[in-house]
Amino acid sequence: MMIKASMRILALPLLPIGALILATMPILHPTEAICAEQPETVCIQCHASLPDKLGAPVNLWRNSIHAENGISCNSCHGGDPKNAAEAMSPSKGFIGVPSETNVPAFCGRCHPGVQKDYLASGHGRALGKGGPTCVTCHGNHQVLKASLDLINEKSCTRCHSFERAKAIKDAMQQTEGYIEGIGRRISGFQATGVDTERLGKGLFAVRNRFHTLFHEVNVARVKTESTQINTELAKLDADLKVIEESHAKRRVAGAIAVSCLLLIALLVHLLRRTYK
Amino acid sequence: MLKRLYRWVDLRIGASEIVAKELTGYLLPRNINEWYSLGSILLVIFALQVVTGMLLMVYYVPDADKAFKSVTFIMNEVPYGWLIRLCHAVGSNMMVAVLILHMLSTLFMGSYKSPRELNWLTGFILLTLVQGISLTGYLAPWSQLSFWATTVATNSASAIPVIGPYLVEFLRGGKLVGPPTLGRFFALHVSVLPVVIAALIGAHLFILKRTGISTPPFGNSETAKPWRAESYSYQSHPGGIPFFPNYALQDLTSICIYFAIFLAVVFFAPNLPFTPDAFVPADPFKTPAHIKPEWYFLANYQTLKIFPSELLGLSVQAIAMTFLALLPFIDRSPERHPMKRPLFLICTVAGILLWIGLTVWGHFS
Amino acid sequence: MENDGRRKFLGVCLAGATAAAAVAVAYPVVRYLGPKSRQAGAEKLVLSASDVPEGEAKFIEYAGASAVLVKTKTGELIALSAVCTHLGCIVQWVKDQQHFLCPCHGGLFATDGTVLAGPPPRPLAKIPLTLTEGKITIG
Repeated sequence: MMIKASMRILALPLLPIGALILATMPILHPTEAICAEQPETVCIQCHASLPDKLGAPVNLWRNSIHAENGISCNSCHGGDPKNAAEAMSPSKGFIGVPSETNVPAFCGRCHPGVQKDYLASGHGRALGKGGPTCVTCHGNHQVLKASLDLINEKSCTRCHSFERAKAIKDAMQQTEGYIEGIGRRISGFQATGVDTERLGKGLFAVRNRFHTLFHEVNVARVKTESTQINTELAKLDADLKVIEESHAKRRVAGAIAVSCLLLIALLVHLLRRTYK
Repeated sequence: MLKRLYRWVDLRIGASEIVAKELTGYLLPRNINEWYSLGSILLVIFALQVVTGMLLMVYYVPDADKAFKSVTFIMNEVPYGWLIRLCHAVGSNMMVAVLILHMLSTLFMGSYKSPRELNWLTGFILLTLVQGISLTGYLAPWSQLSFWATTVATNSASAIPVIGPYLVEFLRGGKLVGPPTLGRFFALHVSVLPVVIAALIGAHLFILKRTGISTPPFGNSETAKPWRAESYSYQSHPGGIPFFPNYALQDLTSICIYFAIFLAVVFFAPNLPFTPDAFVPADPFKTPAHIKPEWYFLANYQTLKIFPSELLGLSVQAIAMTFLALLPFIDRSPERHPMKRPLFLICTVAGILLWIGLTVWGHFS
Repeated sequence: MENDGRRKFLGVCLAGATAAAAVAVAYPVVRYLGPKSRQAGAEKLVLSASDVPEGEAKFIEYAGASAVLVKTKTGELIALSAVCTHLGCIVQWVKDQQHFLCPCHGGLFATDGTVLAGPPPRPLAKIPLTLTEGKITIG
């Protein structure tokens, strides 16, 4: 009909604008960045402007997992983080740079389990005799989240051949992948409001147990422990599958609901047409 | 059987008279289009928000220590709690979106012009109230997102000269967002604002019924009939289509389509109204970076960021809102067809593009 | 008119679809509001025998309701529901009389739950308990 046609054409500008507003909704999803806005310690304030060796650690630290979790210089080196006069004072617990043989104890104040495993391992027994300390593999200021990539040819061949390290890495690769996968699924669920506290804690515990194997550097032990860890992971996996199934059911119900509504809309529309 | 019941009621209150006047005898213009259904859709959305809100109140605890846990409980333990909560969260976003569309269609069809200024004014007040109810509701889950978005939003009041800082404290119930803020925001959100909104919706509809619904300017050659302010007269549409069953069914179709879209979002994009920070309990000592308000406030947020002085940014927005509110008094030309109002069209389209631009910029900044 | 027939058919279809939709909406709301479903067998409660001295009564929660564990002067351990069978108030232990008194309407119960006096129509329900190695298991 004439009237309807012209009306449709003139309503046209409104439709794309309306659609644009609705379509931008998914895009207008606020995203979050990682860094936390916390007050900087005096250590950072001073050292950030110093040259070379004295200033370099600041930027390295900023990229680290320690920085991400709010652990600043004073957490390891001691000193007063708020008072510049006392920042490097031994009376406030300032330790300074630890000597090579003291590095494991230095890091072990917060990571005691790792320190214990390391000292019992081949690497630990070689401490002070040319063996690696924590910082040899993990770095000192740009400490990143621990992952299997730390075991690589370039790093390990500094002291010996890569074959044993490679065997350990291969044995652990699959489990590491499994852990990462489960971690991703848990985060995914957390972002939809599922209560992932128990699962998250469970995974955290298993992951830590698994990572203590890193410091053992004992191939046989890695293999036996891995099987046990994989059973625990399978349990977490099963729990996650239950959640995934219930979510899939919800989507099916949703699809039915939406189609029924469209059907009702059609029926109502046809009913309306009978009144013209 | 139904007929007997109807007759029983009719004999006592004259129901058939009402039906004849308001339903079957209420004639609407023949060229009425689907955009006119947006009002009824809004009514349905509001009703759904009230119902889902009431259901949520059965399990939600408005105490800063317990709020987040109670929401987690609703989402995970209560049967279909996730559905009620998602309907409420998605519904609030839908309400703002449909409200904007309703406002735009009114603008384009010139239905704000005389004698309908009161409708526009009540509608404008409703827009601000809906923004207010969305803002207060946002704090309820007491997540990182809730807490810090509220901090950012209430901070903007500090730019008002003289009373600014006091106003911020008044809004928050303290210097910073905290338990007193939750208390007053919750009271506003569940009792004060819904009642005021309902009252204003009542006024809006009453004025609409008294003035008479406008005729769309499309398909008519004569679209510039000036209204003579001599005496009150109801704008009737003789020879028009009856509201019941014709346009009532059209409204129903539109409502069903809205529900289809709404449920599609609830079931297939449940993350849309949320960010990961929405599921982390509020930590007053740790601000996540890049906290932003919800999408419908992004343009305001970005405007404040552009202007070097916050006061200037607020004033610019206040002027824009005042201009919008007083539009029927500024635009007095009787012409209603959008294509015959070039100045209006340019200003409105430019305004819309500016708003969208600011919103997108606000998102990415 | 052909329209009438169509109207009727569509009307019936719509009525059916709306009824289905109404059920689809009502079901989740009723489930949402309903109390949490109890498991078939209530969990057992374990206490140490020394928790209940002779001639004393200990009030506990069992199976979501109030219960009482009493050790008579003869050393016998009995577990009873503490909900008065009259109108549901919680009974109190009267130590010097070694019986239960309901504060609402004065119902009196013996240590084995039988009604001694007052309006209660039935004795207090007994709850099974087992005593092994100084540990009481209720349920």
